[in-house]
Amino acid sequence: MKIVVCIKQVLHTYARTGMDLQDRYVAPEDRVRMIDPASESALGLALKIRELAGEGNICLLTLGPLTAGEELRRCLALGADQLYQVDVDGGAELDSRSKSVLLSRALGHLDADLIICGRESIDTANGQIGPRLAGHLGLPCVASVRDVRLVDGCRTAEVRAGAGRGRVAVVSCRLPVVLTVEAGSAAIEHIPSVDDWRRSRQVPVQRMFFDTAGIATGVLREEIIAPRPRPKIVPAPDCGLDAFARIDLLLTGSNVEKKGEMLVGDIERQVDGIIAFLDAHGFLEPLQSAAGREGVSGG
Amino acid sequence: MLTTALDYILVLAAVIVMLAGFARRPARVRQVVEESRRPADFGYFLSYILGHGRIVGGRPLAGIAHLAVFWGVGLPLVVIAFAQFPLVLPAGIAGLLSLVMDVLGLVVLAAGVYFLIRRLTSAPDLGAPRRVVVPLLLLLVIVLSGFVVEGARLRLTAAGYAWQSPVGWCCSSVLPASPLLMQAALRFHFFAVLLFVVLLPFTFMRHLLAASLNVLYRDRGHRGALTPAAGVVTENALLAGDRLFDAGQLLELDACVACGRCAENCPAALAGKVLNPRRVVQNLARCLEAAPVPAGGNIDASRLADAVSAEEMWACTGCMACVEHCPVLVRPLVKVIGLRRHEVQMHGRMPAEAVPMIRNLEIYGDVDGRGCAHRGDWAHGLDVPHLSERDVDAEMLLWVGCQGAFHPRYREVLRELVKILRAGGVRFGILGTEERCCGDAARRLGDENLFLSLARENMDVFNKYGVRRIVAVCPHGYNTLKNEYRELGADFEVWHAVECIADLIRNRRVTLRYPLEKSLAIHDPCYLGRVNGIYEPLRTVVRAVPGVRLTELPRNRERALCCGGGAGRMWLHEKPGQSINQLRAREIRECGVEAVGAACPFCLTMLEDGIGSLELESPPRVLDIVEIVAASMAD
Repeated sequence: MKIVVCIKQVLHTYARTGMDLQDRYVAPEDRVRMIDPASESALGLALKIRELAGEGNICLLTLGPLTAGEELRRCLALGADQLYQVDVDGGAELDSRSKSVLLSRALGHLDADLIICGRESIDTANGQIGPRLAGHLGLPCVASVRDVRLVDGCRTAEVRAGAGRGRVAVVSCRLPVVLTVEAGSAAIEHIPSVDDWRRSRQVPVQRMFFDTAGIATGVLREEIIAPRPRPKIVPAPDCGLDAFARIDLLLTGSNVEKKGEMLVGDIERQVDGIIAFLDAHGFLEPLQSAAGREGVSGG
Repeated sequence: MLTTALDYILVLAAVIVMLAGFARRPARVRQVVEESRRPADFGYFLSYILGHGRIVGGRPLAGIAHLAVFWGVGLPLVVIAFAQFPLVLPAGIAGLLSLVMDVLGLVVLAAGVYFLIRRLTSAPDLGAPRRVVVPLLLLLVIVLSGFVVEGARLRLTAAGYAWQSPVGWCCSSVLPASPLLMQAALRFHFFAVLLFVVLLPFTFMRHLLAASLNVLYRDRGHRGALTPAAGVVTENALLAGDRLFDAGQLLELDACVACGRCAENCPAALAGKVLNPRRVVQNLARCLEAAPVPAGGNIDASRLADAVSAEEMWACTGCMACVEHCPVLVRPLVKVIGLRRHEVQMHGRMPAEAVPMIRNLEIYGDVDGRGCAHRGDWAHGLDVPHLSERDVDAEMLLWVGCQGAFHPRYREVLRELVKILRAGGVRFGILGTEERCCGDAARRLGDENLFLSLARENMDVFNKYGVRRIVAVCPHGYNTLKNEYRELGADFEVWHAVECIADLIRNRRVTLRYPLEKSLAIHDPCYLGRVNGIYEPLRTVVRAVPGVRLTELPRNRERALCCGGGAGRMWLHEKPGQSINQLRAREIRECGVEAVGAACPFCLTMLEDGIGSLELESPPRVLDIVEIVAASMAD
């Protein structure tokens, strides 16, 4: 059995602390090159299916330059057997449709029984690749897959998939089929061993090239714009807080951004702090004049 | 004195058999010297063996009994050896010597009986080795037969005075005047000694040599520094863990006397987990004994690894109590970490709950997956200089660590520390986004490659800014930077924040003015206390706070119980047995203090959780020493 896992390499921007206007406020350290978490789950599902089936060949298929090469090697080390790279013209801007066309052409050469990809990537979150691939290849597609069981001599897949509101759909379909997986739904619970890493370094990258000239797209230009940060650097709300507190912080600004100082320590120290504050801001009158006024009123 | 040629032949044969039994030891020692580059440490060996300090410490009664057996057997052996030569001693000295020998015999008899009772009555579930019984009985037979020989001799010859040999004299009064009896008792005594010598390598008594060699060729590196994995580094910087333990580790396996002090102090064993350090070492030793490793040859790692279950190896908290209390310098902790390395590096197996943390380290460089871009957020508004800034005036680097950077509670501790350091006039800076996790958790969970990659990244940054002094607030980071980065060429001084604060208080650079009217106990973090010997600075700092009534917990300093969060346990589930943090929390509750002071982010979290789980009406507060000082500090 041949399982093809479509792996998306992403440049994940997880922070917005940058100050460089030219770089749209994103500093280099705010980004990591990684494998999309949904694609990792797709690989996790593929490994699980192979383990249940007892045999199988897992091919990784990725599009574009190997920007997260080491992470792809890690996928191989985790148990994938081959790595295919669909090469595109340098600098070509591709939308979901063009990507799915290129991937489907590559899949046409791979003769896969199961095609698994992430349902929605962490960077663009379009969620189009899986269904579009199925459309191009004329195959059934099941989204949000959680579990797969192969029956009928590995000719039929019994799929359990999320159907919204906590419901689970049980779908039975003939192979080949396209499955999409949500991030975190099929976690890989082991890590590569030394031998796995060594083996992964021996696996050659098999490059495939397809002409992009024929795939016209209606999208003329696509650009992702990172949200503009506040002029002042504000730390992200602490994820240890509950949702209400985090939203409250986001709406009102961070508590650390507020002016003033929290008085800490015991009572005596806090009172000293209050007196010092009042004194510094002119709320306390000098002792002598206060005493004089008291004398007048007493008289 | 040996009389016939046959006696000499028998002695020679016994010694040959004994040496044959010990045959593989010299090869192992050679391997230790060549591989681990450990020279013999005769000075330490003599002070260890003559003073018995480490053996007596922790178990005074058993230690003194051991001391008695050591001198009670060792001194007569020397005297008997000299007696083979025609030496003539003055009558007074000879009489005194005879008295000493007699008394020593009595002492050995008493100690032997004590050991025998102790072994026979010990709980079988503790794995007390009953194989000690045979050599002990033999030793008692030797001593008793010696007294019979002396009694029979005195009965026949009536030479000397009663005070020179009181026990022998007592025996002579009940024995018949029979030369045959004397000869029979003498032969019996002689053969018992020969049997004892022959059995030395095959019984528990082999520890005479194995433990001595282990002490003589001890690892003189810092106990907090794990040695790099035994193996080679390939061009891809991947460690080949095909050799589970180096020769020094195998020597330690031989040396274990299964006394059980490790298990008595192991928090996992105390909490009813599967792990028992004594069983780990004994199972490995048994496995090694079943098929010895050829000197210089590769060990079949999987065979040894199978001797210890996954539950056992992942239950270790890395607290080093087993290492601290071992009388013969065996390090069960290092074995457990070696086994974890084998499990991770060779099989890619790790508890599933730890994998996300490892992925966070791989992708983001911190245990929480928050990313290095956020690493300096804790210092927002404090104007803490970054070493990357131009014209930064910093005499030391403040190492923040993952917990200091991201843990909500510990971020506050860091902010308090900044105030203290500033008040003390310390010029410091941070690395901000350039800091990565120190790698302690990854290394102790067995992922040596990840540790190395994180450590190399940090070392590059240290070298870039020419860092010479570091103050760390987390004891795990402190230990890793101080002791484990040396293998990567680190050449800087590392302080823990508490040491730094103690120094500031001592030099009156910080004044503590506001009282903290509380009874407070110190919880010694393992990686400060047992691992790095920092006990007193914590107490010095707390004593300097006005109003604090310092109390010691029942287990303190070297005997302090771990919080349960070390060696990656912070990220693992507590499956079988009690939670270790609850065990420690109960000890704190029983102590009746109002607050407990710790100096470690893991301890702080674990103790807070543990105390919280007890659901007390007025639970003791868990405070970091830094917080205590900051609350008391004059502005």
